[in-house]
Amino acid sequence: MKPEFFDRLFNYFSWGCSILLVGAVLTIVGFLIANGYQSLNLHLIFDDTRPLDAIFLKSQVFDGLFPAIAGTLFLITLSIIVAIPLGLATGIFLAEYCPPKIKGSFSLLFDILAGIPSIVVGLFGFCVTIFLHHYFYTRLFPCLLISALSLAFLVLPYIIRTTQISLETLPLSVRLTAPSLGATKLQNIFYVLLPSSLSGILSGIILSIGRCAEDTAVIMLTGAVATAGIPKSVFSSFEALPFYIYYISSQYSDNSELMKGYGACLILLFICISLFVFAHWIKKRLSQKILYRP
Amino acid sequence: MPMTENIKINIKNLWFYYNDHPILEDISLEIPQNTITAVTGPSGQGKSTFLMTLNRLWESIEETRIKGHIEIRFGSDFQNIYDKRYNVSDLRRQVGMVFQVPNPLPMSIYNNIAFPLKLKGENNKTLGSFRVEDALKRSFLWDEVKDRLNEDARALSGGQQQRLCIARALVLNPQVLLLDEPTSSLDDKSGRVIEDLLLELKKDCTMILVSHYLDQVKRIADSGMVLSDRQMKQQW
Repeated sequence: MKPEFFDRLFNYFSWGCSILLVGAVLTIVGFLIANGYQSLNLHLIFDDTRPLDAIFLKSQVFDGLFPAIAGTLFLITLSIIVAIPLGLATGIFLAEYCPPKIKGSFSLLFDILAGIPSIVVGLFGFCVTIFLHHYFYTRLFPCLLISALSLAFLVLPYIIRTTQISLETLPLSVRLTAPSLGATKLQNIFYVLLPSSLSGILSGIILSIGRCAEDTAVIMLTGAVATAGIPKSVFSSFEALPFYIYYISSQYSDNSELMKGYGACLILLFICISLFVFAHWIKKRLSQKILYRP
Repeated sequence: MPMTENIKINIKNLWFYYNDHPILEDISLEIPQNTITAVTGPSGQGKSTFLMTLNRLWESIEETRIKGHIEIRFGSDFQNIYDKRYNVSDLRRQVGMVFQVPNPLPMSIYNNIAFPLKLKGENNKTLGSFRVEDALKRSFLWDEVKDRLNEDARALSGGQQQRLCIARALVLNPQVLLLDEPTSSLDDKSGRVIEDLLLELKKDCTMILVSHYLDQVKRIADSGMVLSDRQMKQQW
């Protein structure tokens, strides 16, 4: 057979795969919207409480999703705040400072870490909490902080590896520019190498945000509960959207509760998309600020 | 043979290895002050590597090592640039480098030129802008960019970008300038402008120019050497 035939076959195959995947995504989103749009209103989020009163914590929301939304946002923020500096520093270390001999084994370990199932990470967080509770601080229970730390642990490998790879794949010409002008290694990293690889690093962070927003296995073992209200501190248990979705879809008693579950799915989807857009905006602003400041 | 007091760079028995393979073998050379020394020879014979031994830039590349002795005269005394006590950033401020492909940083024209000053920690804005202007004038670029210093440097033409890179290397007033085929990515006309510029700079700098173009070497170089089979084959 002619080589052109395989060329065309492969072309059709690639098209087919892409269309199948796009179709699957559209079907899921369409299904959620079709089922969830009716329950999507302020009542779903704030119940009978006035929205402003709820947002400013003047009165509590008992039967709405507001505490779960707030819990999810707190959780993402806290996890990312912990994961970004640790992940960036480790990634920079691996790419720029790590001796070649141990780099291979370190990279392998982080790849293994990336492959650990989230339920195992959750179990690990839970065990650590029990240990700390027994031996150090009896008032410590599974809580927002433990969940955030466990999630940070879960997403660290993404940030580490994307940072490392973005730095390592910079061309030698970019790498040598600042040193040839008298830059120290640290100056080169902060003024040239990091800004030049910002795009890759940010995509790792965006992936991590998505993972923090959706992961259920970790938080159900480390502090998420069905009803807790807005967490009063990082040592309180909390509500979260993915846990709510899991809970309601496995325990719903009537159709209206199930519809609320669909509504929660849509809200979670909306939060993820907003965070992605926000992260892209920051990416643009940050590179402008870093590279073009007067 | 030039007199000792005119010598700027003294290279003795220089060997360079990449992954334990020799790239340069036993090179000894004296380079006189305020001259242009050309380095020619076939591709892949270590011409760029040779330049990088003079500002220790090869140290940023993994699995490389060097053997031998290089001294540069800063002021009245020769300084062993591989002396452990000698600060490599200071060395690279005295020994500037311009690469084959122009490498402006993704920032404004002004910030590109001021970048080495910032790295050095010089914060005086007035003095800084004076030095930026001076460097741009010395590299024949001032008239073309004086009205758009805040624009992205990458929007300049290839020849302008290369002159920008020369200006950026000049802003710290280096005593030695290493030029790695600075005109090879440019058209003839832009290349000629750079050649005139280099001749003009000779009064302040000692230059080492890697070049493929023999006619260019004839036009501007005072002396030269041919690198081939890892060795210095010919000196004139």
